[in-house]
Amino acid sequence: MLLPGAAALSAVVVAGLQPPARSQTAISQAVEIGVYSGRHYNTDKALYREFTRRTGIKVNLLESKDDALIERLRTEGNRSPADVLVLVDAARLDKAADLGLFQPARSASLMRDVPLNLRDSRGRWFGLTRRVRVAVVNPKLVNPATIRTYADLAKPKLKGKLCLRDSKSVYNQSLVADQLILRGEPATRAWVRGMVANVTQPFFTSDTPLARAVAKGDCGVGLVNTYYVARMLAGDSGNADKALAQQLKVVFPNPAHVNISGAGVTKSSRNLEAATKLIEFLASPTGGRGYAEANNEYPLKGYGNNPILKGFGTFKADGVSAEQMGARNRQAVNLMQTNGWK
Amino acid sequence: MIAAPPTRGSGRSLLAIAVVVLAALALLPVVGLAVFAWMGPAMASLALGPAGQEQMTNTVLLVLSVGVLGAALGTANGWLTANCSFAGSRWLRIAQLLPLATPAYLLAATLIDLGSRNSWRIHGLLWAITVLTLTTYPYVFLLSTESFAVSGTRQLEASRSLGVGPWGSFRRVALPMALPAIGAGVALSGMEVVNELGAVELLGVPTLSSGILQRWQNDGDPQGAVALALIALVIVSLLVAAERQLRRRSRRWLMGSGGDRQAPWALSGWRATIAQLLTLLPPVATLGLPLLWAGLSLDQLQSEPPEELLTLGSRSLGLGLLAAALTVAVGLVLAIAKRWIPQPLLQRLSFLAGMGYAVPGTVLALALMLIGGPWQLSPLLLLVWGYSDRFLAVAKGGLDAGLERIAPSVDEAATGLGCSWTAVLRRVHVPLLQGPLLVGGLLVFVDTVKELPLTFALRPFDFDTLSVRVYQYASDERVGAALIPALLILLLGLAAALALVPSLNREASVTAD
Repeated sequence: MLLPGAAALSAVVVAGLQPPARSQTAISQAVEIGVYSGRHYNTDKALYREFTRRTGIKVNLLESKDDALIERLRTEGNRSPADVLVLVDAARLDKAADLGLFQPARSASLMRDVPLNLRDSRGRWFGLTRRVRVAVVNPKLVNPATIRTYADLAKPKLKGKLCLRDSKSVYNQSLVADQLILRGEPATRAWVRGMVANVTQPFFTSDTPLARAVAKGDCGVGLVNTYYVARMLAGDSGNADKALAQQLKVVFPNPAHVNISGAGVTKSSRNLEAATKLIEFLASPTGGRGYAEANNEYPLKGYGNNPILKGFGTFKADGVSAEQMGARNRQAVNLMQTNGWK
Repeated sequence: MIAAPPTRGSGRSLLAIAVVVLAALALLPVVGLAVFAWMGPAMASLALGPAGQEQMTNTVLLVLSVGVLGAALGTANGWLTANCSFAGSRWLRIAQLLPLATPAYLLAATLIDLGSRNSWRIHGLLWAITVLTLTTYPYVFLLSTESFAVSGTRQLEASRSLGVGPWGSFRRVALPMALPAIGAGVALSGMEVVNELGAVELLGVPTLSSGILQRWQNDGDPQGAVALALIALVIVSLLVAAERQLRRRSRRWLMGSGGDRQAPWALSGWRATIAQLLTLLPPVATLGLPLLWAGLSLDQLQSEPPEELLTLGSRSLGLGLLAAALTVAVGLVLAIAKRWIPQPLLQRLSFLAGMGYAVPGTVLALALMLIGGPWQLSPLLLLVWGYSDRFLAVAKGGLDAGLERIAPSVDEAATGLGCSWTAVLRRVHVPLLQGPLLVGGLLVFVDTVKELPLTFALRPFDFDTLSVRVYQYASDERVGAALIPALLILLLGLAAALALVPSLNREASVTAD
């Protein structure tokens, strides 16, 4: 009696566990590359398909969390099927480079398309999109004109009004690393302490609830990445969030801390040429635009065509190199944790 | 407890070999980890530091609070729905299975999202305790209610005929008999809590499991991470040892099946109201909240193409079924061997084999990658190995408790009548264990469908599952995109929970026969 059921179930099992079709014809020998990516956007897949259409190079994709991908690549070593590693945040790219997971790629078009401070000096990774960590202000509680720099967030006047995400957030870590480079350790430590003294609510574990709390007046000012606000304004998280985001004033501290998502060719790759081609495509104005628009990010150069981002106005990047930020990550984390930034 | 072993000669050594092989497979990752930790300066990393102490304190507090609250809630609801009748009690009994369908990280994400729309901060230890109690108490409910409905009916009848009221019968007869099952349920929930990552991270509670991840991936210190994982393992071992001690003290066997089932105690007035509230609250909270959240988030729905959803769903379903079948089979072999072969070493091995549940998924994934790498094992094989290793305790807990209620005289009688050990297994134990087998299988299925860290770390290219998708979207803070895969997980979980209904009803009818 159980048999037909079991047979039906096993059919489902077999269908479900079937690895996705790969071109297995030994004759055609189509080039395939494996991509490990820390980004999860359906439009990315469309972009990879476009790349395949143009070059004939098939892309196999594994999306996961950035740190998990780094560990996986590390454990797999030379046997890894990955040719390209895409990571979000400068610190992670630098970490992967430090662990020897990348090999240098030589490409004139990458040198041209990726600004010097947004790529590794040895060509191991290249920035693909930019995001800015900005202050969001509720004008009813805090006068936006009083926030001109990140340092202003430490002013005692903001006591009880500042809300922050916790120090586990790699975006905050990179911001602190950035300030370490620009302002040195003593000033940065005083700044972190000042901000922590202003925070009276528990640290948030994500950016969107933080932006909501500011919009609702539970906080007066907070630090978030631009794209979280842009998403809310685009209505991605519903009309209520859209209305909330419209209450927010986005303030670019001057100069602004710019972070990146980026990619490099893995050490284990045997398809250096094809892998480089993919990164070139993603860094090119066409591919890069798709990558940036998927997540309301800024392209490598200029402000792009996203009307919501245009509405935020312009900013002056502080020009700190992503590579340097990565190198200071450990110091930044340590500074945050020893000065009360939980 | 050791039953008179019906195994002789080759049968017995075959079983012993099977135990050794299965236990070795289950223990290999843990042993590999210990060796790995030993190779590095791990013993230095055992120093916890202030952060580590906070993680440890939080973990212990969580395990204890969730254990106590879950035991109370699970036992109360198990008893109320098995032996009392009140308006809606039949439906509410089935509804106790609903919380199984909701992953803890999903419930936490839902609560936080709903809260932040209404200016409530859902954050911290108390919320973590609430979320984890609601999502893990069904372990206690399922294991204890089976005992309330089936095993103790004779004794209950006797106590009723002696004029003992419902409370007295519960306290003096039913509860002591159900203790092994409750203990097994609490041990399972404790392991689940030690392992929990998504929910505690979202709620901002640093625990050992998040510390392990931080040491490994942020500090680049895998050996230190493993050292921390070994501490977590010690906590769980203590838990399991306590549970076994408890079980040893209350050893009672089911003597024959119950006679005529007496009508359940009818509750009315405030008693009925309290019973209804207690049994209604957890399903409403765990299933109702995500559904409410879904309803409120309809305007942000971003659907994936249906064929993509179908692929994701069938992968989750396939992995779940495969893992369930494999794990239950392994669990049965180990449980039977533990009963029949009174060899202390084998006993210990079969006990240790269940420890995989206590190893955090991320660490187990690391171990499997270390093992699988040099041998070029397929990622899918590693994945299923990981699931079985991790959820063996879930399948085994119920089987062990179920076997303990079958008197050794049953085995003796069967062998006395000339049955071979395979025949005893096939004709006596498997039929008697149908309940625990089904419950174990479905629990493993649901756990696999909800499982994250292993799937996340070990899956091959282009092989996302529902839970992977949900977590990716949720960690990107894109609720709208996570919505449909999340609902599909709930649906699969619900289907599994509903598959348990006949087993709940059968218990009732067995006792009514």
